[in-house]
Amino acid sequence: MDRKKATDEERARAYAPTKKPDVINKQKLDVRYHVEDYDVSDRPRRFLEAFAVILRHSNYRFALEHFIRMSAKCARCAVQCQVYQASGDFRDIPCYRSELLLKIYRQHFTVGGMLKGRLLGKGFLTDEMIEEMADSFWNCTACRRCTMECPAGIDHALLTHLGRYILSEIGIAPRALVVSVREQLEGKSGNTSAIPIPALLDTLEFLEDDMREAKGVEIKFPIDVEGCDFVFFPAVSDFLMEADTLMGIAAVFAATGDSWTTGTGYFDGINYGLFYSDRMLERIVKKLHAEAERLKGKNILIGECGHASRSAKYFVPTYCGGKDALPVINIMEYTYRILNKGRLKLDQNIITETVAYHDPCNIARQGWIIDQPREILKSFCKNYVEMEPHGENNICCGGGGGTVSIDEIRPYRTTVAGKVKAEQIRASGCKYLVAPCANCKKQLRELVEDQKIDCEVVGLHDLIYKAIIFDKK
Amino acid sequence: MQILLEFAQGPLFRLAFGIMAIGLLRIFILDIWGAVEAYRRAGDKNIPWAKTVKKSLGWLFPIKRAFGSRPFYSLISILFHIGLILVPIFLFAHVNLWEKGAGLSWVTLPKTWADYLTLSTVLFGLALFFGRVSVKAASYISRKQDYFWPLILIIPFVTGYLCANVGISSSGYQFFMLAHVLSAEIIFVLIPFTKIAHCVIMPLSQFVVALAWKFPPDTDEPISISLDKKGIPI
Repeated sequence: MDRKKATDEERARAYAPTKKPDVINKQKLDVRYHVEDYDVSDRPRRFLEAFAVILRHSNYRFALEHFIRMSAKCARCAVQCQVYQASGDFRDIPCYRSELLLKIYRQHFTVGGMLKGRLLGKGFLTDEMIEEMADSFWNCTACRRCTMECPAGIDHALLTHLGRYILSEIGIAPRALVVSVREQLEGKSGNTSAIPIPALLDTLEFLEDDMREAKGVEIKFPIDVEGCDFVFFPAVSDFLMEADTLMGIAAVFAATGDSWTTGTGYFDGINYGLFYSDRMLERIVKKLHAEAERLKGKNILIGECGHASRSAKYFVPTYCGGKDALPVINIMEYTYRILNKGRLKLDQNIITETVAYHDPCNIARQGWIIDQPREILKSFCKNYVEMEPHGENNICCGGGGGTVSIDEIRPYRTTVAGKVKAEQIRASGCKYLVAPCANCKKQLRELVEDQKIDCEVVGLHDLIYKAIIFDKK
Repeated sequence: MQILLEFAQGPLFRLAFGIMAIGLLRIFILDIWGAVEAYRRAGDKNIPWAKTVKKSLGWLFPIKRAFGSRPFYSLISILFHIGLILVPIFLFAHVNLWEKGAGLSWVTLPKTWADYLTLSTVLFGLALFFGRVSVKAASYISRKQDYFWPLILIIPFVTGYLCANVGISSSGYQFFMLAHVLSAEIIFVLIPFTKIAHCVIMPLSQFVVALAWKFPPDTDEPISISLDKKGIPI
């Protein structure tokens, strides 16, 4: 039996309907994720209008022109895609998914395609094609592993990204993401978890008390301090769910004495715009940069979160002034740096269990953060094991590309999208699975629970918090 | 037949070759132009040039990279491409024609090598075709042209081999030579309009991917305005 392939029972669970038929009829959309009610009239025309506008104001056209000439349909991407490996559905082959959008581009935005369409009177965009894209683009976890193996250099994840963006402009996007972004950009709380400032301050005070008791030293979460080296933006859900990660980060700063702060103007690193809308991506990135500037910070520091790190690292320069934008670093880069300088002491006798490291796609695929966390872990974990493949070629947790936030598709994520990852974790035999990403952590916890794997999913700084040694002089 | 062959080898060849050359040049220039324009518009101009060059070379000469996925297919594809590229360009008979017609000449392949490469191209072309037919994942994503290309590409190789190596009558030779020249000309004309255009833009692929994620800044407002969404809540 191929353990990477979902069983019939798992497939039945993964693809079970999540919505009532009347909702599907009303929204003219048979997809498993929930969508807010939207204008269902004339979808093909509105899709093409949005596509045209986006092409006019973006850099996508030149890439599409290149891809339509390069696509050789070699199916090498099929071998790399963990979704296809588990589902066995040919419609999950990345090249097939990309073709959904490429053929619309070819047909409606190239001279040859338009002439062919006029002459043959067929091939035009239909409601059925929109529905297929709406389903397909959200079955992909946007991990970009397929892109690594495409000889033609076709970036299937970019095409999924663009396809989702266009769909969102006609109102088709997962409700979970849209609602979060609305709260983040227009809501009272200004963050995706809707945490009010008093609740944030209470939480941090509670954590400070906890750390004082546990470690016997004063460890602070500095708030609204101007002129710090680092302005800190974790995935805001960490304030609710990942206390140990936050305490680990605070403990590292307490040990080094470097200046850092969290701003009450804005404290959310999450950027779901990366998953469905460049317009939202831009607004969120600008909001984050503005807060760091308000506090006169020298660097933007992103917590343990893959997509938050990537959206800041790669898009702060894009939207906030290129070279003049504030530098962005991930917390693991900082911790690695100070560990190398001998400013961080970790007890090597605390973590004796088997530890494995999961590479979040958004920070590993391009080779940005791969060795640093491993060096940190190996410095104090006695039994570090590696999962294969790893690093740039890692396997996605199965909840990438924003899918982890769509709770109604959990069965799909844990039985199909995460199936290959589950087998990889099982094979490693790890007790602690270190996943320095809020999205990966949520997905992997659900995955190990649903797949009945005996291991605990933690953040990197969770383990550091356990092992850190303070100089109490 | 003789008149037809002379026409095919003369004006028709020049026309077909011209269409291919101009078509490919146009595609190459448009690709470069698109990339330059994208770079000019990008908010972040920091491109990992060295890494991208390395990746490009890795795919142009896929000694290490090719065998991670579908290794058997990849090996056949590479061997197919070697003959496909080398034989038409470096065959003595072809270079001789260029020398006579345009005064240009360059290094040529020894005849034995050329023969083996010709046969291997035919063999591997057929293998690619049957592989596409038989591998379900590949056939599911294939278009008509994906089946068509390996077959049409081997026609000039088969006919060329027959003309050069098999003792056939004069009329037989003329027939196969005409088929050789005409099939090559059909290929030339089709190249710029199909996926075979990758022969000139393949070296740019990794740069395109690197640049494609470099978005222009401040697109929210113009897109919102164009889509009548300016000021409308999310």
